[in-house]
Amino acid sequence: MTGILRDLFPLVWSGMITGCLYALGALGLVMIFKSSRVVNFSHGNVAGFAAFLIYGFSSGMIMELSWGAAVLLAVLAVIAIAFMTYAVISPLVFESDLTATIATLGIGLIAQGATLLIFGADIVSLDLPVPRFSMSVLGLFITGYDLTVLAVAVVTIGALFFVIDHTKLGIAFRAISENPFAAEVCGLNLRSVHLFSWIVAAVLGVVGALLIVPTTFLSVTTVAAFMLQAFAAAVIGGFGSLPGALLGGILIGVLMNLFTFYVSPEFSSTFLLGVILLALNIFPNGILERVGGTRV
Amino acid sequence: MDVVTNALKGEGIALSFGGIEVLKGLDVEFRAGEITGLIGPNGAGKTSLFNCLTGAYAPQKGTITYAGQSLDGLPPAARASRGIVRSFQHVALSPDLTVLENVMIGVARNHHAGWQHVFLPTRRGREEMARMRADAEQALAELGLAGAADKLPAELPPGMLRLVEIARAIVGRPQVLLLDEPAAGLNNAETRDLMRSLKSLCSPDLVMVVVEHDMDLVMSICDRIYVLNFGAFVACGTPQQVRQDEDVVRIYLGSDDD
Amino acid sequence: MSDHPVTLGRFDAEEARLAGLKPADLLSLGLAAALILLPLLVGGSWIFALGVCFANSIGVLAVSVLVRYGGEVSIGHSFFAAVGAYSVAVLDTRFGLSLLASLPLALALGVVSGVAFAWPSRKLSGIYLAVSTMALALAVPELINNADGLTGGYEGLYVSQPVIPGIAMSLQRYYAALIVLVAVVYGLARLRHSRQGLQLLLAKAHPAAADAFGTRRVWARVAVMGISGGIAALCGAMLGFAGSTVSPSGFTLWSSIFLLVGSVVSFYGLSLPRALVGGAFLTLVPQFLSASGAWIPVLYGLALLGMILLGHYLPRLRAMIADRKGGV
Repeated sequence: MTGILRDLFPLVWSGMITGCLYALGALGLVMIFKSSRVVNFSHGNVAGFAAFLIYGFSSGMIMELSWGAAVLLAVLAVIAIAFMTYAVISPLVFESDLTATIATLGIGLIAQGATLLIFGADIVSLDLPVPRFSMSVLGLFITGYDLTVLAVAVVTIGALFFVIDHTKLGIAFRAISENPFAAEVCGLNLRSVHLFSWIVAAVLGVVGALLIVPTTFLSVTTVAAFMLQAFAAAVIGGFGSLPGALLGGILIGVLMNLFTFYVSPEFSSTFLLGVILLALNIFPNGILERVGGTRV
Repeated sequence: MDVVTNALKGEGIALSFGGIEVLKGLDVEFRAGEITGLIGPNGAGKTSLFNCLTGAYAPQKGTITYAGQSLDGLPPAARASRGIVRSFQHVALSPDLTVLENVMIGVARNHHAGWQHVFLPTRRGREEMARMRADAEQALAELGLAGAADKLPAELPPGMLRLVEIARAIVGRPQVLLLDEPAAGLNNAETRDLMRSLKSLCSPDLVMVVVEHDMDLVMSICDRIYVLNFGAFVACGTPQQVRQDEDVVRIYLGSDDD
Repeated sequence: MSDHPVTLGRFDAEEARLAGLKPADLLSLGLAAALILLPLLVGGSWIFALGVCFANSIGVLAVSVLVRYGGEVSIGHSFFAAVGAYSVAVLDTRFGLSLLASLPLALALGVVSGVAFAWPSRKLSGIYLAVSTMALALAVPELINNADGLTGGYEGLYVSQPVIPGIAMSLQRYYAALIVLVAVVYGLARLRHSRQGLQLLLAKAHPAAADAFGTRRVWARVAVMGISGGIAALCGAMLGFAGSTVSPSGFTLWSSIFLLVGSVVSFYGLSLPRALVGGAFLTLVPQFLSASGAWIPVLYGLALLGMILLGHYLPRLRAMIADRKGGV
């Protein structure tokens, strides 16, 4: 009994940490889905491309900038990509969400190819400039990285919810995700809100990628693979709810950790498949739907 | 009498969505051999009643029977196989199929050749398709649409599409035919043709129900009319009786005379 | 905005009217005849590449049939392809059985797994189904690797049993793939004019209307996924046989996405020429770009976007031109 508990707490803790990262990815997917009804399959590949850009800008491969400047440049690049993506996709969005969704696969392929062309298929490492320390609290082994992830996630998600609740653009976003037609009749500009959500999503993706990469290494597929968990998180949250995505991310993080530890590390994707199918059938509108009163 | 036992009956049908009562305990009897009209202002619950009859909605209360047998709990497909079919307010044809093929789907429920007859050139598959084709051609001819058989829906005017819908509904020789606004979008000449066609479809075994806004059509072809308002019947009777009913004149017909 | 309009997925007027028809049939027959004679003219590496191309064409058809008859998009067809490929490879290496025994098994298992996936996902459509198929594709490589006792794990299996002993294996690989491709095209042409085909097409456009005429939605979904899964398994079987090796790297999420790219590039066509366009795109582009593999995803992505935008703007352009003509 104590043995199980001794394993359980650290597993849940580290699952929550990675879960926060999945949530960052999922929030981006949900932002785009809520405003424009498109599932953005290019999310992971574009975020991966951004991580490589940061590496390229800071390692001397392209330039030798400070870490902060490299991040800033990469974020600008990603915003430009989001802008171009939306420019290509926007005529489709108003016709068929499914066609627009297929088109994002094309964007993802291009982003992946561009990464390969510029940076090659090699594995590189990209670290976060965070204090290296660790401590033990109540049997939990907590590192500086954990705290950084938690802090960044809390600040980012808090800022996002604040923007959506209290700014003009955020209110327009909520109105459009409730009822695009009525919102447009009321004079809200759909396109600018769509663009807002695409750009916010892209930035969230970069933040998520930056935080996940130090735990492994950076290759063409790392970030894309990480985004798959984000997809599962978004599905669990109902794909249309921001708090649902947050909760879904943490849930996926913890469940995956428990599954790989107690059941099998080799069938984690199969486990995700099961979770997605189950969630879609039992909670087609997300886990928060029954609780009601979702905020955003 | 035979005519009475083959009726489609509803008793105490009540339907509500999220606390709003759409149908308030309706008792209704649609008799075979008659054309029954169902009229009422927009939002009165006509289409909701249709959807209860076809099984698309499950009413919270009440039972629906056909020829004495309960239909409660049967999904639309199962009711279709008992010969209860409908047309749609908004034309619901496949844009990929020709008019003839769309009408052939109306008899599909009477045929049961398995998948091997789809992929292999078997005699049974060939014969089945030939029979479906012949039935569909006949139904199109009855409605004067023989010339349109090989056209795609997109190539036809809306009026003809409504007739194709009706052809698809009658091709399988239904026992109950529910027509949801068959004359919507038709011009005067087309409406007259439609009235003639509906009259000619009438047979002693067929229950025919027509939801319609076109008063002339309803008054001239229906044997009996139910008037629905706010989910309840205000009147029921022959066109003559309904025309003279004060409530009906006030809530419905009155506005036409002004 | 409906979930089903995949706007390219319409049978156009000519195509539908070409019920028993002449010019398109002649083109397909001519093409088939040319492909039968081709090995007399071209050399070994081309024969091999064309065999793989035929197999990919079958996979493209599997995705297209789901779009055309189900109105749904899949990025998980590598799952069903893997089922077919490993049916062939496992029977070949472990039991010494040839394609004659393993192809029917591949087809049957493909249909069964299509149905088995369709059932839990029967209520999902549009993007929700697409995300589920993505999860399906992701599970494939690890399932294969963890069953390495049977599947050979990462290293894969080599398919070597001839169908007819004594005939050059390279020709067998080519002709077997061609025969299966032609058979699939023939089967799909029959489906279009069958009762079930009509019912599926109505269920795609108007589920409620189909329901009212006796076609249940769940039946339609299960049937379409069964057909599509079966065809995808034939694709996998022929990829294994014509390509001679089967390994998990051939059945990733990317393979699924590539099949969708091929389907879009062929405008979701179900005829022999259209399927060959899609298959050739998937097989020959990597051949030409083998020197710089990084261009492959870029090119596929551009092709996907290009075809989708073409499908979006072409009808508008046509209408504009027609207007101008009408006005004059």
